[in-house]
Amino acid sequence: MKNTFKASLFLTIPMVLAASSCKKSNSDDTQQASTLKAQILADVSANVCTSSYQDMLDKANVLQSAVTALTNTPTDANLAAARTAWKNMRVTWEETEAWLFGPVEADKIDPRIDTWPVDFTQLDQILKSNDELTEAYVDNLDDALKGFHPIEYLLWGQNGTKTAASFTAREKAYLTSLTQNLVKLTTSVRNTWSNGYNKQLATAGAGSTEFTTQQAAYVQLVDAMHDICEEVANSKMKEPFDSQDASKEESPFAKNSIIDFTNNIKGIMIMYQGNFSVDGKGIEDLVRANNLSLDAEIKSKYAAAIAALGTFSVPFGQAIVSEPTKVQNAMTKINDFASTLDEKLKPFILQQVK
Amino acid sequence: MKRATQAVLVILCIVIFLQIACKKADTIIDNLESEWLNGGSQTAFDQGSSSFSHMFSGMSALQNRVHEVGDGQFSATFVAAPAPLNPGLGPIYNNVACVSCHVSDGRGKVPGSGESAANMLFRISLPGIGEHGNPVPIPGFGDQLQSRSVLTASPEGDVSINYTEQSYNFADGDTYSLRTPHYTFINLYMPMPSNALLSPRVAAPVFGLGLLEAVSEEDILKMADPNDANKDGIKGQANYVWDVLNQKKVLGRFGWKANQPSILQQVAAAYNGDMGITNYLFPKESSEGQTQFSSQPGSKTYELADSLLYSVEFYVKSLAVPVRRDITNPAVVRGKALFTQTGCIKCHAADLRTKVNVAFPQVSNQLIHPFTDLLLHDMGDGLADNRPDFLASGKQWRTAPLWGIGLTQKVNGHTNFLHDGRARNLMEAVMWHGGEALAAKNNVVQLSRSDRASLIAFLESL
Repeated sequence: MKNTFKASLFLTIPMVLAASSCKKSNSDDTQQASTLKAQILADVSANVCTSSYQDMLDKANVLQSAVTALTNTPTDANLAAARTAWKNMRVTWEETEAWLFGPVEADKIDPRIDTWPVDFTQLDQILKSNDELTEAYVDNLDDALKGFHPIEYLLWGQNGTKTAASFTAREKAYLTSLTQNLVKLTTSVRNTWSNGYNKQLATAGAGSTEFTTQQAAYVQLVDAMHDICEEVANSKMKEPFDSQDASKEESPFAKNSIIDFTNNIKGIMIMYQGNFSVDGKGIEDLVRANNLSLDAEIKSKYAAAIAALGTFSVPFGQAIVSEPTKVQNAMTKINDFASTLDEKLKPFILQQVK
Repeated sequence: MKRATQAVLVILCIVIFLQIACKKADTIIDNLESEWLNGGSQTAFDQGSSSFSHMFSGMSALQNRVHEVGDGQFSATFVAAPAPLNPGLGPIYNNVACVSCHVSDGRGKVPGSGESAANMLFRISLPGIGEHGNPVPIPGFGDQLQSRSVLTASPEGDVSINYTEQSYNFADGDTYSLRTPHYTFINLYMPMPSNALLSPRVAAPVFGLGLLEAVSEEDILKMADPNDANKDGIKGQANYVWDVLNQKKVLGRFGWKANQPSILQQVAAAYNGDMGITNYLFPKESSEGQTQFSSQPGSKTYELADSLLYSVEFYVKSLAVPVRRDITNPAVVRGKALFTQTGCIKCHAADLRTKVNVAFPQVSNQLIHPFTDLLLHDMGDGLADNRPDFLASGKQWRTAPLWGIGLTQKVNGHTNFLHDGRARNLMEAVMWHGGEALAAKNNVVQLSRSDRASLIAFLESL
């Protein structure tokens, strides 16, 4: 009798425990949280991803107009305008690298517009050849002969010393077709996002074939944020730094590398806050609703990384030699940020979103 | 005392029951833990678009670093020499970087009718057997058609692909359709012998290869049954291929026809043949001997540093296998039973164990689920390329590993399967099976619509 009583008592405790752990908190809260999770995906899809590629296309068109003006009227003012247009478009592209998944990967847009290194040997051969430099011709070339960096090379020259007067007819023709090709490929990403892929992300776990669960979509977002962080610290910065070899540096002609890195990292915060040009719901809102200290940590690690990238007094190709502690410090801060994303934000997402 | 023990037992049972009941149907059930782990301890818990690209876990800092260097090198774009970075592309080549074909470490996409082949290549040869048992290279072309070149050289040529389509019926009357590819040489830089043999090869996923390399030769040979001694209709034959480094014939286990003995040789051969990057194992340009070769700037040494070659080998060797999904889903459970009942599993072996390797614990003594026996099987006339490759006949192909296959859409954005990507989905790939797999295929033909869906659900879960 005594034993049975004890047993039933023991039974009751685990049952209560099990029942309470089984129970969802409050059904209204659950409803709200579920609405928020869907809203974040819808907002990020529209306000961040789709609108960023629209912005990139707008800037590609500005670049094309500037190149047309430069080739028609080769003044140094027009050259400066074209360089500015290139840098402006580059800002958006580097930011979008924080969501480098979907069409831009599947359709191989990334390698076709942003391959490094440039194939100088063949670029010179193309300029010396009699090949007709149409857009179709450029489209057929190897990735190392088209996209941002050959355009950069033509606009700045090997040492950033190019002048408007020094453009040859062949260079103008090549530059024109390169820009047309860049506009075409950017249009393609924009279209794939706005004509369907946006819905794939927005309807994750609710009919999306690409993301059968909301968790899969959130993991994709967080992984992409983490990946670019890793790539900046452990590849884009580390490879030239470790080998003390400036030839491994991206965007050397425009001396734009540090700006590139910074915009890569900024893209992560844009995605996190769901704020490209319109401030919608972002992953931030889900984090803030559940874990304010995680939100604070993400923002402080982000700020530290951006601050470290702001300390250089020379272009990156020189900094790897003359400012090694600053390079190391920036890599460390970016890696810290990456760790928070991978070791804290990702588990949070896995727990919160199913 | 006894009653107390009983009571505790009862409580335990109830607690366990309650905990299970509490979980949703799609969460992990612990007693099936090994089934989830396709790659044993080196299984990556990611089901997204990067799921083929995860590094082994638990490696040393040095190993992690070598993996990272290899990763960087795997995506490095080569350019024409001279150049400050990554010089040596070509003069003839198929692509400019490893990652250009093995996109996201995954499966190459086949071109549509009329498009040029970017993620696949064509092996070519003359009938006969070469000095090491290898296919006979074609004078002026070698054993692979390089479809691109630097501007100062000519590509060897290209292949145009056209498909013809035919409809078939399952036993229940449902139809399916298969497309047969037809290949024609085009734009050849010099005439191709009319008896040239051609074999299309799509870029294969590169994860999990370190685990496959760690399966012992004895274990693979145990599965072989070249004379069908057990009369089950399934043979399974080992390929023996030329080991360039050791200058002898050894068991082949990689590639669509198991024509490469090791990851190192596979990587080195790809650098040389696919990108024109000469290296320690293959120091001669693939264009050597061609009339256009003499016009190319010669290089006294090979182009790829040994350290980089070995880092890429290690990168590939240490890529983890994606976790299985949905294994408790009733359709998947049913599909798994059908996979066995129909006979698929006879070649697509589910369980292999790697040998003990104290120097590299990540691949040591792991129970893995690659769904391959790494052996050659006659796949029938439909799939035959009629081009022998060492001991592999024109009808034989190596059983393709199926792990991760359900993630192909997510990682690579397509579902083209088989050596030439002719199958547009998993069911088409199943229905192309013939030869030793004919009985299994016919079993699938007899399945009901819902059982067929279950079989596919199982494959999608791998």
